[in-house]
Amino acid sequence: MQWKRLIVLIHKEFAIELRQLYAVGGMLLYLVSSIFVIYMAITLKNAQIHPITWNAVLWIIMLFTAVNSIAKSFVQEKKGMLLYFYTICSPVEIILAKIIYNTILMTLLISIGILLYSIVLGNPVQNFITFSIGSILGALGFAASFTTISSIASKASNSSTLMAILGFPIILPILLLVLKISKNAIDDLPINNSYDDMLTLSAIVVISITSSLLLFPYLWKSS
Amino acid sequence: MFKKISTVLTLLFIIAGSLNVTLAQEAEKTSVDMADSLRADGKIYVVVLVVMIVFTFFSMYLLLTDRHVKKWEKEMKEMKESKK
Amino acid sequence: MIRLIEQSWWKYVGIIMVYYTIIAGFLIKAPRLDILNETIRNLFFHVAIWFAMFILLIISVVYSIKYLLNSKTIHDTIASEFARIGIVLGLIGISTGSVWARFTWGDWWVNDPKLNATTIALLIYLAYLVLRASIESDEQKARISAVYNIFAFTAMIPLVFILPRMTDSLHPGNGGNPGFNAYDLDNNLRKVFYPAVLGWSILGFWLASLRVRIRNIKEELIHHID
Repeated sequence: MQWKRLIVLIHKEFAIELRQLYAVGGMLLYLVSSIFVIYMAITLKNAQIHPITWNAVLWIIMLFTAVNSIAKSFVQEKKGMLLYFYTICSPVEIILAKIIYNTILMTLLISIGILLYSIVLGNPVQNFITFSIGSILGALGFAASFTTISSIASKASNSSTLMAILGFPIILPILLLVLKISKNAIDDLPINNSYDDMLTLSAIVVISITSSLLLFPYLWKSS
Repeated sequence: MFKKISTVLTLLFIIAGSLNVTLAQEAEKTSVDMADSLRADGKIYVVVLVVMIVFTFFSMYLLLTDRHVKKWEKEMKEMKESKK
Repeated sequence: MIRLIEQSWWKYVGIIMVYYTIIAGFLIKAPRLDILNETIRNLFFHVAIWFAMFILLIISVVYSIKYLLNSKTIHDTIASEFARIGIVLGLIGISTGSVWARFTWGDWWVNDPKLNATTIALLIYLAYLVLRASIESDEQKARISAVYNIFAFTAMIPLVFILPRMTDSLHPGNGGNPGFNAYDLDNNLRKVFYPAVLGWSILGFWLASLRVRIRNIKEELIHHID
C-alpha cells in the first residue's frame, strides 16, 4: 500500500463531491430538514425537551444522516470507474480512502448538525471535551461500519433498503456507547467516568476498520 | 471404534444419572418454597413422562428424515458412478 | 466435516444426552433459592440452548472464512444453513428466556443489556438471510454474504460479551450479580448442565446438517440436469 496513492484517492473523493455540489447540498438539506421536523414536533405545545430525549433524538438524526450520506459512496460509482480504479490501486487503498473521506464527511455533518440542533433546541451539554471526543469517535465508527456495509449492499439489488437492514444492527453497539458518553457529558460527570466507554468504543472502531480492510479485497473480486 | 466408545460412555452417563436421582432423596430445609408437594405425590413423573413422549416423537421424526435423505444421497452417488 | 455429517453415531449420543437432560433435569435435587424456586432447572433448557446457538454461529463464521479462502460451494452451504438453525435456536432461547423472566423478574421483557445484545445478534443474522435472498448470482451471493457474516460477527462479539459485564444487568454474572457459581453449580447442576449443552448442540448440529445434505442433493441434481 502506498501513501501517495492513498492521498490521491482521497483527493479524488473530495474533487468528485465538490464538483457536483448537489450531493453535499442534499446531505445538508436532509440534516436541516430532519432537525426542523424534530423541532416542530417537540415544541408543539411549548413542551420542554428533557436532556435524555435531546441526546437520543440528536443521535438518531445523526444515524439516519449517516446512512443516507455514506450509502452514496459505493452505490453511485459508475461501473466503469470502479473497474478502472481496481486495476490501478490495491483494494486496501480504495476502502481506506473511502473510510477516511467518510470520516471527514461525518465529522463535518455532525458538527453542523450539533450546531443547528443547539440553536433550535438548546444545548444542555456541560462537559464539552467529553462530548467532542465521544462525537469524533462516533463519527469514525459510523464511517467505518457504514462504508463496509455500503460496499456489501451495492452488490445486491435492493441496495437502499439493504443499507438500513444490514447497517442498523451492526451500528447499535457504537450507537449505545456514543449515547452513554454524551449522556455523561450532559450530566457534567468528569471525563474519568467515560474512560471505559471511550476505550471500548475505540476498540470496536479499530476492530471494524481492521475487518473491513481484511474483507474488502474479497468483495471487489466478484464484480 | 469411536462409535463403540461413545455409546459406552453414554450408557455410563445414564447409569450415573439415575444413581444421582435415587441417592438425592434426603430431607431438606423447608424455608424456601419448592415443588415438594409435586414430588411427594409422584406427579413429577408425569411431567418427565410427558416431555419424554414429546421428545420421542421429535427424535423419531428426525431419524426418519435422516434415513430418507441418506437414501437420496445413495441414489445420487449411484447415478454419478453410472454416468462416469 | 462432510464425512462427520454423514455418520450416525453422534446423533444417537445427542438423543441420549437430551433424554438424560429431560429426566435428570426434572428429578435432580435443585438448590433451594428465593425468587427462582424450581425454575433454576431452566438452566438446562434456556441457557444450554443459548450455548448451542453460539456454537452453531461460530461454526457458521468459520465456514464463511473457509469459503472466502477456498471458494468451495459446500462451505457456503454449511455457513448459511448453520446460521439459519442458529437463528431458530436463538428464537427458542429468547422465548424461553422471556417466559422465565415473566415469572422471576416480573416482566416479559426488561431493559437488560444481554437481552438487547442477543436481539441485535438475531437481527444481524436475519439481515444475513435477507442479503442472501436479494442477490441473484450464486457465486456473488456466497461471497458477499460470507463477507457480511464475518464483519457482523466481529462487530457483535464485543457487544455480547463485553458490554453486559460493564453495565447493570439482571442476568447472573453481570453487573454485580453473583455469577453461576453462587447457584451451586459445582454440585448437582453441573452434572446435568454440561450434557445438556452437548445434547442441544448436537441436536442443532443435526438439524443444520440435514439441511446441508438436502441442499447438496439439490445442487447435484441441478448440476446433472445442466
